[in-house]
Amino acid sequence: MAELGFNAGDEVRFRLAQEEVDGIVLENPDSSVVLIKLKSGYNVGIPRDNILASRVLKKYERVVKEEKKSEVKRKKGLPVLGLVVTGGTIAAKLDAKRGGTSWLTDPGELMRFYPELFEMVDVKTIDVPFMTSSEAMTSEHWIKIAESVKKMVDDPEIKGVIVTHGTDFLHYTAAALSFFLQDLTKPVVLTYSQRSIDRASSDANLNLVCAARAALSDVAEVMLVGHANLNDEYCHAMRGSKVRKMHSSRRDAFQPINCEPIAKVWPDKIEFISEYRKSPGGKTVLDTSFTDKVALVKFYPGQDPSILDLYALKFKGVVIEVGGLGHLPPSEAKHNWVPALKKHIRQGLVICAAAQTIYGRLDPFVYSNGREIVDAGVIFLDDMLPETAMVKLGWVLGHFGWKGKVKEKMKENVSGELNERIAV
Amino acid sequence: MDYTKRVSQHTATAYSKIGLKAGLEIHQQLDTGKLFCACPGYLRSEEPHFSVIRRLHAVAGETGEVDAAVAHEAVLGRTFLYQGYNDTTCLVELDEEPPHFVNEAALDEALKIALLLNCEVYPVTQVMRKTVIDGSNTSGFQRTVLLAHDGFIETSFGKVKVDTVCLEEDAARIVSRDEKAAVYRLDRLGIPLVEIATAAVLDTPDKIKETALKLGEILRACKVKRGIGTIRQDVNISIKGHDRVEVKGFQDPAMMIETVRKEVLRQETELKQGKKEGAVRNALPSGDTEFLRPMPGKARMYPETDLPLLTIGRERLNMLKKILPKLRTEIRDELKKKGLSEEMIRLVLDGHLDEFETLIKIYSKDADLVAKMVVLWRQEFASKLKKSFEEIEGVLNERVLEQVLEALVKGEIGEGDIKGVLWKVTNGAKIEDALKIEKIDDHVIEEKIIAIVRDKPGLRAGAYMGMVIAKMPGVDKRKAMEILNRLVK
Repeated sequence: MAELGFNAGDEVRFRLAQEEVDGIVLENPDSSVVLIKLKSGYNVGIPRDNILASRVLKKYERVVKEEKKSEVKRKKGLPVLGLVVTGGTIAAKLDAKRGGTSWLTDPGELMRFYPELFEMVDVKTIDVPFMTSSEAMTSEHWIKIAESVKKMVDDPEIKGVIVTHGTDFLHYTAAALSFFLQDLTKPVVLTYSQRSIDRASSDANLNLVCAARAALSDVAEVMLVGHANLNDEYCHAMRGSKVRKMHSSRRDAFQPINCEPIAKVWPDKIEFISEYRKSPGGKTVLDTSFTDKVALVKFYPGQDPSILDLYALKFKGVVIEVGGLGHLPPSEAKHNWVPALKKHIRQGLVICAAAQTIYGRLDPFVYSNGREIVDAGVIFLDDMLPETAMVKLGWVLGHFGWKGKVKEKMKENVSGELNERIAV
Repeated sequence: MDYTKRVSQHTATAYSKIGLKAGLEIHQQLDTGKLFCACPGYLRSEEPHFSVIRRLHAVAGETGEVDAAVAHEAVLGRTFLYQGYNDTTCLVELDEEPPHFVNEAALDEALKIALLLNCEVYPVTQVMRKTVIDGSNTSGFQRTVLLAHDGFIETSFGKVKVDTVCLEEDAARIVSRDEKAAVYRLDRLGIPLVEIATAAVLDTPDKIKETALKLGEILRACKVKRGIGTIRQDVNISIKGHDRVEVKGFQDPAMMIETVRKEVLRQETELKQGKKEGAVRNALPSGDTEFLRPMPGKARMYPETDLPLLTIGRERLNMLKKILPKLRTEIRDELKKKGLSEEMIRLVLDGHLDEFETLIKIYSKDADLVAKMVVLWRQEFASKLKKSFEEIEGVLNERVLEQVLEALVKGEIGEGDIKGVLWKVTNGAKIEDALKIEKIDDHVIEEKIIAIVRDKPGLRAGAYMGMVIAKMPGVDKRKAMEILNRLVK
């Protein structure tokens, strides 16, 4: 096969066995096919092997834009917010030339994509600590976001902060911020989009505008705001430590677990459903001590307890997603977990239990199988979400001063992660 | 000059003098499931099960400019209500789940059409998003993929070039619309459409009509939907000096000649007024056209990033070439040999040939019965229940008809029971229950009939039949007639 002398963006005439085809070459990760845009606007592929010859009709001219970041024109008189942009679908735009997506970080561009937000509030600060998808994040990203937020909530002019984020692991970040931002004085609102923003039907607009509405409220908590249902009508504001992505694609993917939403949020009003924390005044404390030597393990029938040996090699603590009210194979089972639990707890591994059912509260005292696990020294985390429990365990174990108080801290309701009363 | 006189004075030479150039664009629904999800593709008339409220937002195009047609459709602040059914609408139509891979059956059918049109099929192609923000697509765009190009059809005046064959998803169906809100039904959204565009080489209205009819015949040889609204024909018309005008919404090819004549006159008048701008216009039943919107630009198209490139292999095309549908004349003869009447042949050929051929393999003794099951009775039930044919077809689907014929072959039911069974299924009975027919033993029937004949001797068989039915309403009429014919000579 001859080397073909054209690049993405070039207008090229291809000679094939039967015909000639003109088109603009697009980037295509599959090098065996040349993807081109025809004059009609349609894209088609030509297998490289079918190309007999090619001639560049017009070289691609890269329009070099000045690398000057545009500024957001502030609108005086509107309520003032801060915005932290971190990646995800809500900040990804389609790049037609390259055929992929690129990040939306330029403030002027943000305004162009989300005019409704910028008409509603005065965004004083836009911080972009990094741009990444949520699956690529680590606890270091959580800490960076917390630091950005802290700076903004300390600004007396700023009433609240919005954080935009990818959806897949957004609830982990929400939990982390719930623990990292202690004595919070202002609303911190995470939001997202499930449908890309190139489409007129994107859920991003309503989510952002409702996030702004929640960020202007007197709720001094970390919240996640997103579609309440499939309608583009209102959103739910949900407690950051009690929310989980429960659907892979629906716009109402995030649901409050074992509690009610804090509020229903419309673009122009907010209606509270639950009790919430108001600011007692003072200053927000940034407490990002964290160890990532913690793991989340899902138990399944037949699982060999020696799996704990592997975890114990590297980790200080594990959260096990246990069955039902809090069960693992008891002493009468062939693969009895009790000795392994006892051994590792004795040797210093912190083992917590959270509900694999996601919904509902653990209660190990209903069956003897559960009591055996309690007696082994496993810390039962009631109705706490497994993901929240894992993040909290990393945070608690990150505080060396709390050694000896780990169980007490895990059972302490730090940011609403425990709910004593699950409504019908 | 008098308007009608001017119209009639346009002869072929007159048209060539004014430089008429016209091309056809035909959108035909395929008779398969939906294009990008697993929902069935038929329209429903009963109350929807749910509705969802949506708003659309302005989006800047990939290059930042806003397309003229899109700007015209700008619908900011308007509310859209989408109606759906729990059993035939899924998250994909609601824009709540990414599109599934393109429906293979629909793709095969579209490729067959492309092959019948002698087109070159692209070995690799990409599903595109065409921006549409009148609310008729929940996503804000219509998915479309270019499959083939450069084909032709034979006509009495020579070959007519076919430019392109695309496979697209149909839009949602408008229910009502006012300034603030529009209501759409999702049953139509996602039904596969084949779009055929001929070159703008037709230079008289008669040629346009003939080409449309010929394309229609080729389409009907394939698995396409039939009836009002299942085919939409647009004609691109321009005369020398005037930009292209797209006239949409022909239902009846018979109106085509009149409409083209009037559009040519309109363009002539516009040229005299110094205007030449193209537009999309709507065909009216009178043959006139009305302005619909400005011509769309190509800024409306960008790739569907949720789907991989579509590869169409040689093997697939070779396989499809082997099973290309036969021409209607050939099929007609075959059906005649099987004993179908002209009328029945017409009905079977009207989009039901596949089903007929599948079912006749199960029960080959009575082609007429199978034809009735496939077309006549469904039609009859539909009009009785005031439902669409497609809706009845959804219930009395091929699988149901198969089961009924299998029961007939096994002797569990008689030929005369079939219509009753189908009626029960149409009215909600489970097929298993509907097939449980209280069989009156043949001996009992015979005994009763003998008694009737003995009671009133000397009548003709047909006259006894009424009495037999009155006595035994559920009786297998064929069986009864058989017995009567034996008894009454």
